[in-house]
Amino acid sequence: MIKCQSCAHVQEPRLLCAECGAPLGAPLDLFAALGLPRKLTLDPARLEQTYHDLGRRIHPDRFAGSAAILRDLSLRGTALLTRAYRTLRDPVTRGLYWLELNGHKLAENNKNVPGDLAEMVFEVQDQLAALREARDGRGAEVERLRGEVDERRAELHRMIEAALGELTQNFAHWDGERGDDAYVHDADSVNRDTLVNELKSILSKIAYLRTLIRDIDRELDSAQAA
Amino acid sequence: MSRIFGIDLGTTNSLIAAMEAGQPRVIADAVTGNALLPSVVALAPDGNVLVGDEAIAIEPHLSVERDGRVSAVDFPGGASGAVVRSVKRYMGRGGSELADEDRRRYTFTDVSGPVVRFQVGSRTYTPPQISAEILRALKLRAETALDGEKVERVVVTVPAYFNDGQRQATKDAGRLAGLEVVRLVNEPTAASLAYGLNQKAEGRVAVFDFGGGTFDISILNIKGGIFEVLATNGDTHLGGDDLDRVLIDALLEGVPVATRADRHVWNSARLVAEDAKKRLSVAERVELKLDLADRKIARTLTRAEFEGMAAPLIDRTLECCRRALADSSLSAREIDAVVLVGGSTRIPLVRRRVNEFFGREPLCTLDPDQVVALGAAVQASVLMGTQGDLLLLDVVPLSLGIETMGGVMERLIHRNTTIPTSTTEGFTTAVDNQTHVDVHVLQGERELAPDCRSLARFKLGPLDAQPAGVPRIEVTFLIDANGILNVTARDERTGREHSVDIKPSYGLTDDDIEQMLEESIDFGEQDIEQRLLIAARNDADQILTALEKQLREYGGLVDADERRRMAEVVGRVKLARQGEDRELLSKLVEELNEVTTPFAERIMDSAIKLALEKKSIEELA
Repeated sequence: MIKCQSCAHVQEPRLLCAECGAPLGAPLDLFAALGLPRKLTLDPARLEQTYHDLGRRIHPDRFAGSAAILRDLSLRGTALLTRAYRTLRDPVTRGLYWLELNGHKLAENNKNVPGDLAEMVFEVQDQLAALREARDGRGAEVERLRGEVDERRAELHRMIEAALGELTQNFAHWDGERGDDAYVHDADSVNRDTLVNELKSILSKIAYLRTLIRDIDRELDSAQAA
Repeated sequence: MSRIFGIDLGTTNSLIAAMEAGQPRVIADAVTGNALLPSVVALAPDGNVLVGDEAIAIEPHLSVERDGRVSAVDFPGGASGAVVRSVKRYMGRGGSELADEDRRRYTFTDVSGPVVRFQVGSRTYTPPQISAEILRALKLRAETALDGEKVERVVVTVPAYFNDGQRQATKDAGRLAGLEVVRLVNEPTAASLAYGLNQKAEGRVAVFDFGGGTFDISILNIKGGIFEVLATNGDTHLGGDDLDRVLIDALLEGVPVATRADRHVWNSARLVAEDAKKRLSVAERVELKLDLADRKIARTLTRAEFEGMAAPLIDRTLECCRRALADSSLSAREIDAVVLVGGSTRIPLVRRRVNEFFGREPLCTLDPDQVVALGAAVQASVLMGTQGDLLLLDVVPLSLGIETMGGVMERLIHRNTTIPTSTTEGFTTAVDNQTHVDVHVLQGERELAPDCRSLARFKLGPLDAQPAGVPRIEVTFLIDANGILNVTARDERTGREHSVDIKPSYGLTDDDIEQMLEESIDFGEQDIEQRLLIAARNDADQILTALEKQLREYGGLVDADERRRMAEVVGRVKLARQGEDRELLSKLVEELNEVTTPFAERIMDSAIKLALEKKSIEELA
């Protein structure tokens, strides 16, 4: 329970006081900050609506004339709300956060290349190296290599799209079978582990594909600058 | 509580605005009627300060005498004075970041320090102090126009791409001017507020803000009164000044370097260049003329030639646009409206290129010079709670991180993250019994710490003597709604708050500001002479205020010529008003009295006439 700094109303931890609307400064997980159940499946439109509704009420703009303590709570509450929205909006970061909440943190900065991507990763590195070397050379050659890299980039995007589809399907499957936080106490732990591992492997694949695209963009950017 | 005003503290011009009956309005100067205050500050060696047109009037320049001789006109009272233009370019910069050109135009001291210092006689001025003079002039302008309503709280706009130090410097300027800066708002975002309110715009909007010294591009999503910035990009050293510079170079081609570096020559060339640039927005060709002591320069410049020179700079703005679109995961075709802001968007080539880039005609229905100030006034009313349905969600323009082992920048907050935002990072010790942990905060997009801009350093501690790796300190980096970093630290084990002693890498410390504030209100022991001086200043203020009021109410009773003569004496009184020479001030006040006497008499006459008319109507009734 937490007491409101503005009206002294005592209540369950939440973002804003149920009585007077002042920011409470309660420690909340990112789902709770948005007042949402801990579910992987999230309707993006509803998420945005909730974010905007709460944002309108907690933003420092609304407390410009208030006491310093409320201004500070509003600032910190808005920062939390924003982080919650950004994290949960993206299915990948939402999946990662959800795993973390349930004690399955994905190894940070996972440098291991997912097995089925290994060959492609080498190809991309070769292409980028070729582009880097050709930078001072003739325009036509650079153009050709750049075209190849662009094509590769598009292919990676298609792979991410496919993986995201797979991911969100898994979300529905997971939520549908288990409901809210129930799974932690579920006896069917073998099935649970399988699903967690599936989720982890898709997430790390997407994370890796995104890193590859970032590498490509960086190389293209510096090629542009050169 | 007092009203909040909106201020656009621009590189070239500054404005102040407020909401009147639900609509934002720029507050014009009561005497001249000008909405724009040129961001030009004249600093005399004796401490006199002039702002705006009055400062421009005494800027060093070349003057052609009647006999054709060219003479250098300098700052009255000594050439060691300085007329500072585009001071915004120096905000938040360190002495080591000055370019050769800066040093040719002004004299600086302490060129290795964390803040630029202009040397004027025996005095030095930092950019926030000079900006504070512009803010004071705006405050005075509004208070005069609004019959003494106090201006105490303001929203000040900054380029979206301003870094932490530049933002802090802007806040410092407000504090030095005796203003409470309730909020810093990004210029393109402010412009979108003005447009949103005006046009009830919805959807994805790109704001292309090309001003006198800075360029910003912001991509926003406007929906149900929420103005959400998706991405921003820009260059805080790319603007109309740079376009002038390529024209100056063209104009002074073939002139010896030593002559070019002369302040009088340079300023005169700048005036010619700026004028030519403006005229080329309408004309196809212009004549450029400049008389130097040893030669006369005359050349024709076509718009096509100018566009050839300007193209590389405009390409840089489009490169920023491309990055902003990429960061918002949008293509140019997905933008519903493009809004033009800033004086440099009057250039036809800019409009054409923006049109090509986004594939649509850009909007410029609101005055590009005023729209930012109008938006600042809208945000001011949001902060006063009188625009309950509007909400701005802006972003941090540059990534924020810390220097890690090996000099690598570890990003903690990515660029284009919605603000306010915070992140928490754990720190520990590397050796046994270490009492402090040093943290170096960086801002920028590069991989290596030395390539990023140093933001601040701080020490965590003192820590209890413990083996390496045992202390756990949790540091929260919070970027507030102004885009400024706040740091707090907590001992994870005890939950105790740690003190964080932050040393900003650039800019002024709190102590610096305190000292400047003390100096500016340090009356100390006043002798008789000083008291007399104060009395003379009060007299001057009285007559200036009265005259401004009269001009406002009976402006129709003076012709342009008389007005000019009055303005000229007013300028001199104001200059003397800030100096120490009491006799000069008294003499000028007397002169102003003389100049304005016929006007005062006409006011009396018209008042009597009015009273008589009124009486006769009453008699008739």
